[in-house]
Amino acid sequence: MVSCGSILDLYRFRQQLRAQRLAICAALIAAVLGTLALSGCRVKAIGDYDDAIDNGITDVQQRAELYFSRLQSTPSTPFDQNFYDDINSRLAVLKSRASSLPMYPIIVEQIGNLKTEFDTFQKLDKDAPRPIQSAIVRDAESAVTVSVESILTLELALKRGVTRPPTLPTKNK
Amino acid sequence: MALDVEGLATQMLGAALPILKKNAQNARSFARVEFAKIAQTIVSIADQLATGEINQQQAVLLLSMQTSASRNVLLTLQGLALLAVEEAINAALGVVKTVVNTAVGFSLIA
Repeated sequence: MVSCGSILDLYRFRQQLRAQRLAICAALIAAVLGTLALSGCRVKAIGDYDDAIDNGITDVQQRAELYFSRLQSTPSTPFDQNFYDDINSRLAVLKSRASSLPMYPIIVEQIGNLKTEFDTFQKLDKDAPRPIQSAIVRDAESAVTVSVESILTLELALKRGVTRPPTLPTKNK
Repeated sequence: MALDVEGLATQMLGAALPILKKNAQNARSFARVEFAKIAQTIVSIADQLATGEINQQQAVLLLSMQTSASRNVLLTLQGLALLAVEEAINAALGVVKTVVNTAVGFSLIA
């Protein structure tokens, strides 16, 4: 038969254990929350604005527009491998930079897609007889413009407070 | 001082929802403009193929460029959504900061 004294001792022992567990839990929670408080406790879901990416993508677009304009104004302009080598090296540098920035996987992928577009246009350009059809240049330019605007819209939004730039109007065909 | 869960939740939702709505509208405006350009170009490609201005191989390559551009539009929308969520969560925490910090007795929410 269990005595009242032993039941009481057991109860007191269990209460003691419970109090100790609560104290340990409270200490752990305070430590975690304290760390959050010390670190600023601001949530961050994506990387920060980078002006090298902003300026670099704008520079790529500028060079591309010059080449597109040349092909449009002078359709007999021969295929220029130097243009593609230059664009590819610039995009490779930008992709490396984006890859090294924290929380930047989206823009890394976007730069990769932009490079793919230039690779595709390179094939179109190289295989197209001269004078090159203006439709080919126009359609390619449109895709590159949309990609550049997409990247820049996101990049500028990473300033967190700057309104996005107005998008270029659709060209009248 | 005990924290009122329902009260806190209502305040946080009140802070977060307008931000999410505003950012959704911005994202919609961006997407509408960019997809309109892509759609117009796709129609142009089809017309050019029909008139013989471009051949089939060229049409396929030009369409693949449009597909890639579409991917970049969607990626931007993904990024803008992340920014919206970030802003909404921080606003929600900001609105209950004083109440929570007073209740716990230290700057739990910075």
